[in-house]
Parts: sequence; structure tokens; C-alpha cells
Amino acid sequence: MDTWVEFGRGPLFRLAFSLMLLGLLRAVLLTLQNIAEAWFRCADKSLNIKSIVAETLAWLLPAGRLWRKRPVYSTISFLFHIGLIVVPLFLLAHIQLWRAAVGFAWPAIPAKAADWLTLLTILTGLALLIARIAGRRMRAISRTQDYLWPFLLVLPFLSGYLLSHASLSAAGYHRLMFIHVCSAALVMLLIPFTKIAHCVLLPFSQLATAIAWKFVPGSGDRVAATLGYAERPCWIPNARAEQAVQTPTPPEVVAK
Amino acid sequence: MKAAILTDTTKCIGCNECVIACKKVNNLPPDAPRRWDRDDGLTARNWTSIVQGPSDSFVRKQCRHCLDPACVSACPVGALTKSPTGAVVYDSNKCMGCRYCMMACPYGIPRYEWDQVVPHVRKCILCNDRVAKGLQPACTEACPTQATIFGDRDELLSEAHRRIAAEPRLYHDKVWGESELGGASVIYISNVDLGFLTGAESLPATPVPTTTEHAMEAVPFAFTGAVAAMAGINWIITRRMKRQTGGPDE
Amino acid sequence: MNRLRRLKLVLWSITGLALAVATARFLFGLGPVTHLSDAFPWGLWIGFDVMGGVALAAGGFILTATVYIFHLERFHSIVRPAVATAFLGYAAVAVGLLFDLGLPWNIWHMLVFWNPHSPLFEVGWCVMLYLTVLLLEFLPVPTESLPKLRKLYCALLKVRLPLVILGIGLSTLHQSSLGSLFLIMPFRVHPLWYSPALPLLFLTSAIALGLMMVVFESHCTSYFYGREPETDTLASLGSVARYFLAGYLVLRFADLIIRGDAHYLAAPGWHTFLFWLEVTFIAVPALLFSLPRVRTSHSGQFAAAFLGVAGIVFNRIDVGGLAHLPAGAPFYFPAWTEIAITAGVVSTATLVFLFLIERFNVWEQRPVDPEAAPLEAPRFHPVGTTWLGTPAVASRTIYSLAFVLAAALGFALLAPRPAFSRGIPPQPVHRARGGDILWIDGNLNGYGVAFPHAKIEAKLGGDSSCVKCHHMNLPRDRNSGCYECHRDMYLPTDAFRHDWHAAASGANLSCNQCHTAAHPRTASNVKTCGQCHKDLIPPGATIQVKTYQTVGYVEAMHTLCIGCHVNLARQNNKPGFAQCTTCHKEPRPLDDAAAQPKTTGVGILLPAYAPK
Repeated sequence: MDTWVEFGRGPLFRLAFSLMLLGLLRAVLLTLQNIAEAWFRCADKSLNIKSIVAETLAWLLPAGRLWRKRPVYSTISFLFHIGLIVVPLFLLAHIQLWRAAVGFAWPAIPAKAADWLTLLTILTGLALLIARIAGRRMRAISRTQDYLWPFLLVLPFLSGYLLSHASLSAAGYHRLMFIHVCSAALVMLLIPFTKIAHCVLLPFSQLATAIAWKFVPGSGDRVAATLGYAERPCWIPNARAEQAVQTPTPPEVVAK
Repeated sequence: MKAAILTDTTKCIGCNECVIACKKVNNLPPDAPRRWDRDDGLTARNWTSIVQGPSDSFVRKQCRHCLDPACVSACPVGALTKSPTGAVVYDSNKCMGCRYCMMACPYGIPRYEWDQVVPHVRKCILCNDRVAKGLQPACTEACPTQATIFGDRDELLSEAHRRIAAEPRLYHDKVWGESELGGASVIYISNVDLGFLTGAESLPATPVPTTTEHAMEAVPFAFTGAVAAMAGINWIITRRMKRQTGGPDE
Repeated sequence: MNRLRRLKLVLWSITGLALAVATARFLFGLGPVTHLSDAFPWGLWIGFDVMGGVALAAGGFILTATVYIFHLERFHSIVRPAVATAFLGYAAVAVGLLFDLGLPWNIWHMLVFWNPHSPLFEVGWCVMLYLTVLLLEFLPVPTESLPKLRKLYCALLKVRLPLVILGIGLSTLHQSSLGSLFLIMPFRVHPLWYSPALPLLFLTSAIALGLMMVVFESHCTSYFYGREPETDTLASLGSVARYFLAGYLVLRFADLIIRGDAHYLAAPGWHTFLFWLEVTFIAVPALLFSLPRVRTSHSGQFAAAFLGVAGIVFNRIDVGGLAHLPAGAPFYFPAWTEIAITAGVVSTATLVFLFLIERFNVWEQRPVDPEAAPLEAPRFHPVGTTWLGTPAVASRTIYSLAFVLAAALGFALLAPRPAFSRGIPPQPVHRARGGDILWIDGNLNGYGVAFPHAKIEAKLGGDSSCVKCHHMNLPRDRNSGCYECHRDMYLPTDAFRHDWHAAASGANLSCNQCHTAAHPRTASNVKTCGQCHKDLIPPGATIQVKTYQTVGYVEAMHTLCIGCHVNLARQNNKPGFAQCTTCHKEPRPLDDAAAQPKTTGVGILLPAYAPK
């Protein structure tokens, strides 16, 4: 089991961590390039940068718009994110591993605080999941990964909490450590390719939206139709629905 | 004065005092076997070492401080120079790390700090600072048996010949470093053949750098020749083409 | 996915892998990521990236000479790709050199600090100047379609002839000077390669290589882009190349015979094998290009050019390090990390080349990706039916994914311990054997010391003298063996052994017995050994124990023994007493009867092996 734990925090960790960093960098660069190309193509080049920044900040800060609309949900979500970011980065045990590997370290949060933050993350994560299942509107816009992610994110926190409280985990310590390491690696591997990429893409979403408003809705479909690809499905749900009304869709597309 | 070291291997007892003194004076950190070590004990942190020669003899290995050093001739940025005292010294501020000196040295002396992110070439510098101050190198000072002594090169050469003449049955009739490859500042007399230090049976008297320096002398002529030939050919062909067609091509 | 896209995908992946290795090379230095050593200071990066790269790029000066000096207009269609390749080749050489130099940020020193005696100085200057010349020779290609840069374009065309002549002069110099580099190593380069004629040999082979590289490259692009290769023009290049190849071979053997080293040709061994392999690779294309049917055929040209290119590049690698004879050194073979960097540099150069030929009129007919429709129809994911965007967007999505995945894989493969350790493999230590006379040979290689334990003990003062050496004992023990704590020959080890102290059930149940402060549980705020084990350090011990770390076995033994020996040697004026051979006598086999343990009363009972 030791060998497996070593593998998990050696090559597997390096793979996951570097893939996360490079993958997120790639996501940012591709997004920016795509935004830039769209901007160069549209006729109206004006961009209200000030309002874009203001909008971005308004949605980022919990005290902003979301707070007024859904105070409970926004508080829970904010607390969840705090634990999610602070604990992995500032836990003493993690910092010690970094110190051993690369030779430098940074200040840690007290262990008591880390404990409470971990519990908070687990509980708020579950609360968010319940909210998603319970809310009719939220259920309607949820995909499979939206239901899986809370479990995936809570797993390393739960195992980490058990590991740091030896009296709870002594029997299966190494197995639990392996689970902890692997689940964390899995999270990092998936971050750049799933919705968690919002951790770096969020600042650009308002910008992308601002550019997107410059295009007529459904114009992509019309371009596709002009080029003779009208029967191909498009990823904009509304446009697809519109298309379904206008032209009879092949049965296999409907099945999907 | 041309600083030099004479090592008499018959007197060396292999006590390593010279090695320890060298490390102390030059502030060299402790050492351990590394992947990139050669088998003679010289490393970037060991500028001199005692190698065991044939028939249990001890031979101190160090930079030979050649009179016409290959490393000095090879270094493209002049980081290695022959100092006025006779030592071959290294300027780490000029070095760019091409390691041509290590390839060029016929004795295989310079070592590299492979484990460093900012690596430098390291080798014996004949305690250049100490010699300039009028002291003798740390190694010769530390030697308990006077097996390795410091002095003027001419005096040491005559001392070497004196010793050989005094005990012809003990010594090989040869002073290593007197004339081969143009001569060196670190010279040896021995009761065993020291050819094993270089791997070559006997070394020629011509210094190694003459080979490349001859080639380098041809450079301006080769360049001018090539350029002139090309310009000439071009002139001839254009003229001929003009005559044929009545106008330049293209 | 067509072959061009597959090629680009592979190239992007290799570049990604190289990125990971490059990070390691600049973070950790040359030692951990290469197999270079004091005996082989130059390796693949000099042999292939620099020497091979410069020779591969020789096509530039040869074709510019052919077209602009000799005015052979039928080669006009291939002069531009040759110049583009040469430019990228030299740029790749410069980048490759940055990896190899120990202090790459000092590369500009060559401009300031001069040593005109050094061939490397001359090569460096020529490469820098020629890179500039090539840039100016290539610039008309990207500027010709830009009306804004019309003036620059015209000016460049005006200076083209002088530039070409200058380029030929510079190329002649440094192609041959790369050979001069090795003239200074008469005792290092094997006699089959070392020759005063090396500069001439290098120049001849570079010309042949440059010609064949143009052929090779033309066939490669025609394969990937589905364009017609200029078979007739290439055939005449091949027919010129055969003369240079044959001339090179004649020179090579004549030189060997004149020097009187011909007997090495038949001497069996690794170097002779390398030599004949190299010569075969060079002779076969010379032969192939002499057969008119092969020379004018598509596949014949490709095969002959490929063999010739491989043969001459192989020659450069041989001269650059593979065929060297440093005394008493192990064999050099590049590490996978070195190969990854080399492949990465080549891949990057190729990607830039593909970019250039797709964007600009390098060939008269600009090659295009057959699948990239001119109207840029949107692409859909074959399975997920997701809209991938235009071909450009779709390909940058997939290429960047390949790049990122390969880089992450590279980081995972760069094992920290073997690669980044200081180069000392762990060597576990074994206990000394014997009673009255201890045979101390930690790594069991026979070069040990027969230590007269009883004699020394009596000399130092009998029973009360144990503490002079046994400065620390395991609990409930009075004379623990040195190897119990100094467990490795050279590496410092953890004397404390946390795993022994943790509970048998796994771990962590009894942490708070030692880590009494709640957090953090580090070595700095824990109970010291002596607080539980009162008898650990015997009273009167000469050596203090400060940390939980022990030095390596060899250092521990040497400091303990040599310290006293040196003092005694000084006091009694017996210099021989501190000699290595005083203790290290001739090696003894492990089954030597004299070294076998003689069971005496010195029973060593260790808690590790004793049941509770």
C-alpha cells in the first residue's frame, strides 16, 4: 500500500497538478483567442469595458447582486468556496510536502481552523447538492456532471478530515491516504476540462457575453444552413429548438 | 618567477594532507561519489587527488598548468587565462558554460559543477592568490614528506635532474612535464611510468593548441578566397549572359 | 484526420514533452537531466543539435550559390524552401545551444570577450552572422505580399547578391571550423575520425548533406501536403551530391592511409563498427544516386537522400562524442530527457516551417492542408456531434490539448529521486563481522578494514573506553553497531526511524505521546529521544548528537578513525600512520576465513530483531 501512496503523491500528483495548471492556462488562452477572433469579425467594435468589469465584480462578490436575490444560497456557496480554496493551499501538512519537494514554503493556517473549514466545506457542499436536487428550476438546467461534482469535491476533504483525526482512521490509514491522494488527483485532472474551469474563466464570462450580444441570435445556424450543414445539430439549445420547429429533425438527433 | 610544482612520487605516502589542505584553503565543500565523477578522484570540489599508480605508488593528480595550455586556447570567451605567475586561472564571470576546455584538456583535468543550476568549471588554480602574496600553495605547504614542492620552474627542473642523476636506479630517466606538449608548470619525477595519467604512451613535444591555431590562421584567407571566387564567378557568368541575351536575366 | 494533421499532432506532443524536460533542465541544472559527465562533457545536444543542425542547414548556402551565383535558373523553385530550412535550422541550433550551455544567459559574452585562437569563437561568430544573413535572405518571402513593407522588400532584393556571397563565405568558414573544433583533441577523438583534414572533410560532407536535405525535405512536404515533388530538379541535385559523397569517401580513406592509421579499419571493436556503419550509410546513397533509374524515381530519391542524411548526421554525432576515448570512463548514451529536448527543438522548428510554407509563398504553389476547405466550413465532433468551430479553431483546440497532455506526462515521468538526486544512489550498509577482529566493509565490496577491536579497546582503556566510539546506543543496548544508525554508505540517514515508533496497527494512534504540543506535528516541537530512553547516550560520550540525522557510514568511520590517527601520526612522527593503506589493506573476498566472525562474548542483541 505504501508504494501506491508513494505513486499517488509522486508521479500521479505531478501529472495531475501540471495538467491542471497547463490545462487552465490553455483554457484561458483559447478563450481569449476565440473572443478576440469573434470581436475582430463583428461589425460593431465598441466595448464598454467599465460596465464589463463592474458586472464581473458584481457577480463575483457575494455581497453584490446574488446576495440580494438569494441570500441563503449565496452565503452557502461563498462559504463552500472559501474552504475549497483555503484548506488545500494552506494546510500545514500540504505545505510541508511542498517544502520537502521544492524547498520553499508559505505560512499555514492553524490546524483547528483547517478542521472547521474542512467540515464547513463538506456540509456546505452537501447543502448545495440538496439545493440542486430540491429546486425545480435548478434541476432543469443541471447536467450529470453537476450532480457528480459535489461528491468528487467532498471526497478529498472527507478523507483528509479523517486522516488528520487519527482516532477515526487508524485502521485503514494507508488505504484512506491512497483514496485521499487519488481523489485529489482526479479532481485536479478534471478541473481544466469541466465546469470547474470557471475558477479561471469566470473573469472572462462577462466579456464573452458582451461580444456574443453583438451577434444576432441563431446566426450560427444560418451560417451553417448557408454552407449546407443545416441538418447538423448546433449546440445552442434555443436555436436547436427553433430549428426543430421549422424543419423536421432526423430521428437520431431527437433521441440524443 | 615562473611558479611551478615538482612532485616526486617516490616520496609520496598517500596521506591526503595536500587534498585536505586544498579543500580548506579554497573553501571546497565536502564531497561524495556522484554519477558524473571520473575514476581519478578529481571533482568540482576536489581539485587535487591521490591516485594509486602501478606497484603501489601514489601520484598526486592536479592541473598541470601547461606552458601553452589547450584550455586557454580553446575557451571562446577567454575565461581561462595564463596568469603572470604561471597559473592557469578561471574567470567565472566570463564563462558561458560551453565546456570546450574540458574537451580540449589533454590531461582531462577541468571538472564541472553538474549539480548546480549556475554551474562553473573548477580545477586547481595553483593557489594564485597565495602565490601572488608570496606564499606557497596550500598543498605543497601541507605535504609532510616534501614529496610535492613549490618553486621556480627552472630551479625545480634542475632539482629534478639532480635527483634523477643522484639515484638513477630509483627514478625513470624522465621529467614528466618538462617538454611534452610544450611543457607544464606541474612536473613529476617518478619510479613508475606516469603514462597512465593520460592514457597515451608518450606525448609529442608540440603543444596541442598549435593544431587549431594553424587552422585558425587559414580563416581570413579561406573567407577572402571564397568570397572572391563567388564574386568572380558571378561577374563572369553575368557578363556572358549579357552578351548572349543582350540583357540581364530575370 | 489526414496525415498532415497527424504529423502536427505528434509534433505538438513532442514539443509539450520537451517543455516539461526544459523546465527541469533550467530548474535543476544539467547533471540531473542529462547523462553528461566529467568524462563526456559534450553529448547529443552538441553532436546532433549543433553539429548535425548546422550541417543539415547547409542546403541554404549551396542553393543560393547555385541560383544567384551560377545562375542555374531551373533550381529557382527550390531555393526558397532551402533558405527557409537553413534559417530555421540555424535558429534551432541557437536554441539547442541554449539548453547545452551551462550559463546560457552569458551567450552574448562571445560578442564582448574575444579569443580569436578558439575555433569555437569563430564558429559562434559565423553562426550569429550567418543567422542574420539568412534572416535577411528569407525576409523577402514574408514581406513580398505586404504593400506596407514594399520599400524594405525592394531594398532586400537589392542587397541579395552581396548577402549571398557573404553567406557563402561564412558557411565555408564555420562548416569547416566545426571540424577544426576537434583538432585540439588528438588524444580524445578515435584515430578513425581524428585527422588534420577534419575541416575539409566536414566541408565536403556538409555540401553533400545540404543537397540531400533539400531532396529529403521536398519529398516529405510532398508526402504530407499531396503536392508534386520537383523530381527532375531533385534528380540533378542528387547527381551532384553523389560526386561530393564519393569525393568525401575517397578523402576519408586516403587520409586514413596517409596518416598510417588504416590498420584500425580491421581492428575489431565498437569504434570500428561505428565507422563502418557510418561509411555504409554514406556509400549506399552515392551508389544509388549513380543509377539513373533510381535517381529519377520518386522513392529512390527519397531513400537515397534519407540514408545519406542519416549517415552524415551520424558522422557528426560520432565526432561530437560517440567516438571519443576518454581514459577510464564509462560509455555515454544520451538520457531520454536529452533525446526529448533534441526532438522538441526539431519538432518546434518543423512546426514553424509548416506554418511558414502554409502562410507564405515559400513554394511557387503554396501547399495547403487538403482538409482545410477554403470557405472554412465548421467542423463537428465525430461522436459527440459538438460544434468544434472552423478548422482553425478545431485544430488549435486539439493541438493545444496534445501539447498540454504531453507536458503533464513529462512532468509525471521526471522522477525526482533518480533524476534530481545529487547522483548518489542509496547504498545500504551491512554490519561488521567478527568479534576480536572486526571486518568492517559496509558495502561488501571487499575493500574493508580489519579492525582489531579488542586491541584498540585495551589500548584506549578497557571497559571504560566504549564511549569514545560508541557515542550513542540503541535503547537497552551497550554497544550498538555503527551501521545501526549510519545506514547508508554516503547519504545521511534518519537515525530516529519514525516507522518503528508508530503504533503497530498502522500509524497515528499514539502520535500525541511524543508530539505533545497539539500542532504542528513536526520534528522541531517533539519530545527528544533522551526523554524516554535514558540510556541512549552513555555518560562521557565524546560525540554529541544534535539532530535526528546521521552522516553517511563512510564519513562517520573516517572522521572517527582518521581524527585520532592523524593526531597520533603527528605526535609520534610516524606519517605512515595516517595513510589509507594503513587500514585499507588488500581487498579480501567475503568468504575469507580470517574475516569470518569469531564468536566471542560480545553478543550484539538488537531490539529490532528481538521479540518483545
